[in-house]
Amino acid sequence: MKIPFSWLKEHTPIEKTTQEVADDLVRLGHEVEGIDMPRAGVQGVRVGLIAEMKPHPDADKLKLLKIDLGDVEHLSIVCGAGNMKAGDKVPVATVGTSLPNGLKIKKGKIRGEISFGMCCSEAELGLAEDADGLLILPQDAPVGEEVGEYLELEEAVLDLDITPNRGDCMSLRGIARDLAADYALPLIEPGDEVVATDDSVAAPKVSVSATDDCPLYTACKIEGVKVSASPDWLQARLIAAGLRPINGVVDVINYTMLDLGQPMHAFDADTLKGDIEVRLAVEGEKFKSLDGKDVSLHTSDLVIADSKHVIALAGIMGSEPTGVTEKTTNIILESAAFKAAKISTTRRTQALVSDSSMRFERGVDPAMIAVAMDQVAQMITGLFGGEVSITTSVGDAEDLVKDKQIKVSMKRIESRLGIDVPESADAVLERMGFGIEHEGDALLFSVPSHRHDVSIVEDISEEYARVIGFDAIPAVMPALATIKPRKLYNAVESAVEQGFVQVINYAFISADEQRLFVADDGKDLVLSNPISEAMGVMRRSAFPGLLNTAKYNMNRQQAGVALVEQGRLYDGPMYERKETNVIAWLMTGDLQDDTWYAKARRADFFDMKGAVEAWLSARGLTARFMADDDAQGLQTGQTAKIFVGKAVVGFIGKVDAEIASGFDLDADVFIASINLDQLHTGKKAKFQPLPEFPSIERDLVFLFDKETTSDAILQTVRKACGQQLVQAHIFDLYAGQGVPEGKVSLGVRFVLQDAKRTLTQEDSDKAMQAVIEAMNKKFEAELRG
Amino acid sequence: MSEIDSLKAQLKSLQDKALGLFAEAADLQALQDLRVNYLGKKGELTSVLKGVGKLPPEERPVIGQFVNATKGVLAEALEKAEQVLAAKASEARIEAERIDVTLAGRKCPQGALHPVQQGLNEMTAIFAQMGFEMAEGPEIEDEFHNFDALNIPQEHPARASHDTFFFNAEGEDEAMLLRTHTSPVQIRAMQACVDAGGEPPLAVVAAGRVYRCDYDVTHSPMFHQVEVFKVDKDVSLANLKGVLQHFLSAYFEKDVPIRLRPHYFPFTEPSAEVDIGCVFCNHKGCRICKGSGWIEVLGSGMIHPNVLKAVGIDSTVYSGFAFGLGVERLVMLKHGIPDLRLFFENDVRFLRRMGA
Ligand SMILES: [Zn+2]
Repeated sequence: MKIPFSWLKEHTPIEKTTQEVADDLVRLGHEVEGIDMPRAGVQGVRVGLIAEMKPHPDADKLKLLKIDLGDVEHLSIVCGAGNMKAGDKVPVATVGTSLPNGLKIKKGKIRGEISFGMCCSEAELGLAEDADGLLILPQDAPVGEEVGEYLELEEAVLDLDITPNRGDCMSLRGIARDLAADYALPLIEPGDEVVATDDSVAAPKVSVSATDDCPLYTACKIEGVKVSASPDWLQARLIAAGLRPINGVVDVINYTMLDLGQPMHAFDADTLKGDIEVRLAVEGEKFKSLDGKDVSLHTSDLVIADSKHVIALAGIMGSEPTGVTEKTTNIILESAAFKAAKISTTRRTQALVSDSSMRFERGVDPAMIAVAMDQVAQMITGLFGGEVSITTSVGDAEDLVKDKQIKVSMKRIESRLGIDVPESADAVLERMGFGIEHEGDALLFSVPSHRHDVSIVEDISEEYARVIGFDAIPAVMPALATIKPRKLYNAVESAVEQGFVQVINYAFISADEQRLFVADDGKDLVLSNPISEAMGVMRRSAFPGLLNTAKYNMNRQQAGVALVEQGRLYDGPMYERKETNVIAWLMTGDLQDDTWYAKARRADFFDMKGAVEAWLSARGLTARFMADDDAQGLQTGQTAKIFVGKAVVGFIGKVDAEIASGFDLDADVFIASINLDQLHTGKKAKFQPLPEFPSIERDLVFLFDKETTSDAILQTVRKACGQQLVQAHIFDLYAGQGVPEGKVSLGVRFVLQDAKRTLTQEDSDKAMQAVIEAMNKKFEAELRG
Repeated sequence: MSEIDSLKAQLKSLQDKALGLFAEAADLQALQDLRVNYLGKKGELTSVLKGVGKLPPEERPVIGQFVNATKGVLAEALEKAEQVLAAKASEARIEAERIDVTLAGRKCPQGALHPVQQGLNEMTAIFAQMGFEMAEGPEIEDEFHNFDALNIPQEHPARASHDTFFFNAEGEDEAMLLRTHTSPVQIRAMQACVDAGGEPPLAVVAAGRVYRCDYDVTHSPMFHQVEVFKVDKDVSLANLKGVLQHFLSAYFEKDVPIRLRPHYFPFTEPSAEVDIGCVFCNHKGCRICKGSGWIEVLGSGMIHPNVLKAVGIDSTVYSGFAFGLGVERLVMLKHGIPDLRLFFENDVRFLRRMGA
């Protein structure tokens, strides 16, 4: 809401500066988004007389002007507008001036002709959104005067963000009321002069069937109006407040809405058929809105209708055919109370917003219904003539404006605020219109009709907090339970320690990318209003996001990336939706640059696997990996399921080369994912005495069939050695010269130890023999050399 | 010359020759050879001793002493020569092993925690230390938990301002959405407490992703929030201020001034927006704080009785405060990050720099 400062002062005699007022408004709970300075914004723009006008020798559309600014010499200006002539007075921005649109005026050369300034349009001065041609000033404008002063532009306009509970502050009067209370200044009441009515004008006939939604409807008729443009001062105020002037009648109504907060509407009386009715719409009933939309109505919509048509969506917008135009001579004015929730529902379902609906939704003070009606009737007849009927009123006006009484405990308010409420606060609240009576601990609080947002003890505590000021409330640490020891363990941290860079990707991806790793089983959760198709479905795989991130980085001269992400996957269908916590990795490209000690090396499956194993081990878990040839999007033969115990907790593999190249990734891409929800926490480390007796290490090399897995070999070693085996691993792998086709040479190193004695040569011989026999028996593997 | 004098002379010349050889020995191996040559069982000294047999018995001890003295001199000289050579050898080895200590060390792979994650960890740790318990909730929410229970009924103007992502309806009773804030976790945590037959005090911190259908330079459709609330008997606005003051100073690692401004949120009453003294200009006023010296960081307030009512907590007995903060915003302020989009572009150069 834009508040022209001069207008605000008409409601209460403020003497503070705009900045001071802005700070006080903030303290009172009104967010100040900015302070515009329309007059200062056009400083340097002066009234200039076009003393001479010649065509530009090299450009048809340009004119060479000599401008008289009252100085000794005339200014040469090249101008492209077409609506001026010699002798006109126009706003001239001189060199050094900055215009509201950010344009800085400099001396310039236009097609060989030097220009020392610029003649301005209304748009360039920030007075209108667009304009064609220059703003031609009246002939009596004094040459050389600052245009801002001549046009009496506002010195300051406060831009406020009114919170949705304060409908009463969607007006100059409302803001002024809060300030006046705070400053102990009077709030100037609207004039009590009543418009003269003429019995010869028949008052409109009104019936209200939807009395819950429209507790009060008033209407009057004005005959013989000559609608023309509203006067300059009124237009200037509307513009300063952010509204566009339309025609005299509409402008007066808008002006009054800004002034007093009561939205009204005017119909062209001659377009109406029969009496006015306030009712709920019939399903499917048609309505053509003032802004040209064809609307199909529902039974939940509250409408104003004549005997034939819906003529307005109550509180939101009138219909196009019944609107007031320059041709209208007889008008019907409406000033009414509509239920906020009703207006809100229709605004939402019909997607129609207006300045009127904004106010009704937030609550309008019914006390202004009659006052606004009178102000509008007076202004219209005063400006455009006409005779006014008496006002038809349906509903209980008195009941609507009655104060609400609330009885609460003062102790309760003080306990919620954490302070003793000072007596001085009562006076401020009373000036805001509240009634206050203390009876011991009881507070009898009466709430005026403009503060429909105050109804419970908590609301009253807020009013006290507001007028006392949040600064006056001390900061007191509450009693909190003693600190519970808690492990703040985060899955992603150990991966980061292993050298992965954590990324955070959006939870929504494109359906196409979803299909790369997840079959089309109809279980995607699809957004109905996504930002774009690329963010259309909830991800069921972390890989598309990681691939996109890899692509982004590889396109920025990275030789390789190692990424990790922790987040959720989202599976449908909606009625059995599941959000799963996962950690996912991606590695591609060079693991490091060439160095003096090693050459760059491309990431492979075992880099990825090592990272996953290290990550699991940091959580006290070990996993087994079983080849998986069916994983979608991953290369057969380089993909495995990850088992912890008997459960599959994730998978690891190489991304299909075609998919990778779809993300511009040329090097092999390895990914892995683990379902965090499925992991148990791992075994707690348990103390074991350190071995007392030395261990023996033995190596054996065998020829195996290529298909034999190391997992199976090591398991067999374990079985063969029994209890004494401490550790076994593959220490050598070779295929090539000297190894027959289809075979592979694998070296097994195993370590034996006994807790109770030193092992003898005999023990180790026995174990080696057992391993050799087992290898022979299980794999037909021969011992090599 | 007597036999004994001849032996003595022999020994003397042997000693002189040996000392000369010791001094000239090139390395430890040469010395070792000399030791064997002179002092070994078959060494020259022993062969000299063989002549002792020819001496009369009374002269034997005299020459014995002389031999031992020579032996002692030679052993000592050998010892010294060995030390000298060992020192030389060690010096030579050390010189040979000299390296360029300015060469780069072998690299350990360098990971980085995402700055948002760091922020989340820091923030939740502060609240955990203050005694708030962690809670979680779903990101796909129903309208009840995201709006209705938070006193934002269907027709409420605030509801429209949430820019909610909705899901395609598939015969659902209720429209499902992506949570627009972490406040539904407040509802779920209170419900869980009440459903379990418990009652306040409750002090909870919840963190996670939230979603708004808004995408431009200053808005991301996904961002992170931390929600904090406490419900107990006699929880006051002053308590809220105390917790905020402690948290913001702990997070920014300095005493930041805070300012509460009255505001409106449907789920709190009274409500306040919270500003901190601008961290860029130390509260003096700059471009970033638009000259005000204040920067808005979060929304807060006393939990609205309708919210307590929605979960079955008696608002005449209990009261509570709640606030929710935007993680990205605080991280940007703390680290001077100029652009929200950097968080989700995931440029590893940015992430490494921030994660170091
Ligand atoms: Zn600043």
